[in-house]
Amino acid sequence: MNHLSSETFRENARAALADVHLRGALKNATSLFGERRRVAAASLPNWEDLRSEARAIKDEVLSHLDKYLEEFVRTAESRGAKIHWARDAAEANTIICRLSAERKASVIVKSKSMTTEETHLNTALEAAGMQVVETDLGEYIIQLADEPPSHIIAPAIHKTRGQVAELFTSELGTPPTDDIAQLTSTARATLRDRFAAADVGISGVNFAIAETGTIVIVENEGNIRLTTSLPRLHIAVMGIEKVIPRFADLDVFLKLLPRSGTGQRLTTYQSFITGTKRHATDEGPEELHILLLDNGRSRMLAHPVTRQSLACIRCGACLNACPVYQQIGGHAYGSVYPGPIGAVITPQLMGLEKASQLPYASSLCGACREVCPVKIDIPRLLLHLRGEISERKGSARERLAFKLWARVMMSPVLYKMSSVAGRVLQRVVPISKAWTSGRDLRPIEPRSFHELWSDE
Amino acid sequence: MNNEARQEILSSIRTHLAASAPFDARESPVNHAVVLSAQPVASNLIDLFKENLEAVDGHCIVAHGDAEIAEALTQIISALQKTKLRAQRIAISDAPELERLMYMTDLEIEELGIAPNASDIFRFDVGITTGQAAIAETGTLVLDSAHERHRLVSLVPPVHIAIVDASTIYATVGETLSMLKIGKELSPAVTFITGPSRTADIELTLTIGVHGPQELYVIINQSPRCT
Repeated sequence: MNHLSSETFRENARAALADVHLRGALKNATSLFGERRRVAAASLPNWEDLRSEARAIKDEVLSHLDKYLEEFVRTAESRGAKIHWARDAAEANTIICRLSAERKASVIVKSKSMTTEETHLNTALEAAGMQVVETDLGEYIIQLADEPPSHIIAPAIHKTRGQVAELFTSELGTPPTDDIAQLTSTARATLRDRFAAADVGISGVNFAIAETGTIVIVENEGNIRLTTSLPRLHIAVMGIEKVIPRFADLDVFLKLLPRSGTGQRLTTYQSFITGTKRHATDEGPEELHILLLDNGRSRMLAHPVTRQSLACIRCGACLNACPVYQQIGGHAYGSVYPGPIGAVITPQLMGLEKASQLPYASSLCGACREVCPVKIDIPRLLLHLRGEISERKGSARERLAFKLWARVMMSPVLYKMSSVAGRVLQRVVPISKAWTSGRDLRPIEPRSFHELWSDE
Repeated sequence: MNNEARQEILSSIRTHLAASAPFDARESPVNHAVVLSAQPVASNLIDLFKENLEAVDGHCIVAHGDAEIAEALTQIISALQKTKLRAQRIAISDAPELERLMYMTDLEIEELGIAPNASDIFRFDVGITTGQAAIAETGTLVLDSAHERHRLVSLVPPVHIAIVDASTIYATVGETLSMLKIGKELSPAVTFITGPSRTADIELTLTIGVHGPQELYVIINQSPRCT
């Protein structure tokens, strides 16, 4: 079930629902992450204030995004970083392929970056004849399996240790084992060899500081530190929304991101990288290139409701909290960004027509809004997108039905008549199968609330 | 660089923000005037640091002066030499006191490397560095590349031992961030380290030591000259 499409969401979801193993894995993952997040958030007395503060900072940046980007570019360049701008995925991949080819790179190590998943960078680099190795353990596993990530922070959440062992045996020739520590050390050993050989390291960016030109990357494994320390060229890829104004703002985000993602107080490593090294004898890459990607993001600025999608810090908390994601997992969304945030970002990035089912992949229960560390009102965004979809391609029948419904609801006489009619009709006319195949439809009560009230 | 893309992206940002203005006027603004309440911090920063580092599977030893630090190094490394981690090839950063401290230890080792480069570092079993600061509330070690060559020594060997002055322990992440920025330019590479390398990418099972060190020791130097 590799590389599903957002256009077939309903079929994907149905297939995922039938996968008993997947649902077990999802239940474990989402409940564990959810509980850890709850405990971590409760440990800070000012959690709600932090969320408001983080959102205020993001709102400030997004309403002056041009200004903060220009400031970041100025400060980063003054420290020796080279900046590249890419309007779309193709342009981003072309720039990265060119930079790597110019330096005659043959091995490229990568740390986890959702942005390069979005641009399908690996495919482009491989087509250009370079070996690309994902070094985050989860990403490495799914790269060997040729599958997309199924969770923003735990990409291989859908695989059992048995499946990983089989994969390592067939791809790396290691003896079969059920021991997770052994599997991890196999990956460590194999990847060390690639780190030692790598010419280029490609990373993502969690925060880019306008004031200082610093990029901040957080992780637990150490592969990001290796990727950004060993090769002579480091390319950092970031969406244009990743910039924040001041270095001191990190205090707020470093409290929110790890607690929301994995329930940690801090992840094991935070790398704060500001430009290139000062002396030739210093450690670290010779060159730092930072690529700023638009790819549909600037469009989202055109309305305050859609703009808040850009406040997302990719913690994955909304995935764990979502009753839909909990049942179907990430692959069914057919997008690198799954779950509630994926359901709002994907249609805006890829175009409504390519992902028109995703905004409906929600019960609008609001659990995502409750856990979001930057208070993104995802249910409101979903409704906004549904509105845009029905304006574009709502059926005439649906429009007529809602017109009728509105007319009936505005007139007590018509309402009364319709409920009487409904009671009779439901016995003789079968109700739409699409509605009742997945849920029960209770019969209309013989007497309405209104009638009972009048009797009292 | 690619000036055309730059101009186009910036102008797209400006156009779309302008288009948003009439809708923005109708939105109720998010409350911007948040005053973040200060966190209470325990008075003994060393104890708090130790407790928090141990909670994330790191080890913490408090020593008073060079002799005790050398003794701690001897104990840590000789214990490791009895394990499969070997601890025979020791890499140290170029912080001057480390070479001196190593000569004060009572250890038999195969090799001592000083700030080995990217092609040599992979064969070492233990890396020893100093740390420029520590954070009590999270048990975090702070490395600043401006002070020594410790980027690879702290990362590639399976064991990392760091020596930190007790006077450089800060209470909170926030205080540490302000310290890093005040009065000077940020160093090219600042790294926060909280415990050994970890992953839970297979079946959510916590595994210590994936790409970075699987053992982290922090020796806090509480010598009289620092207080």
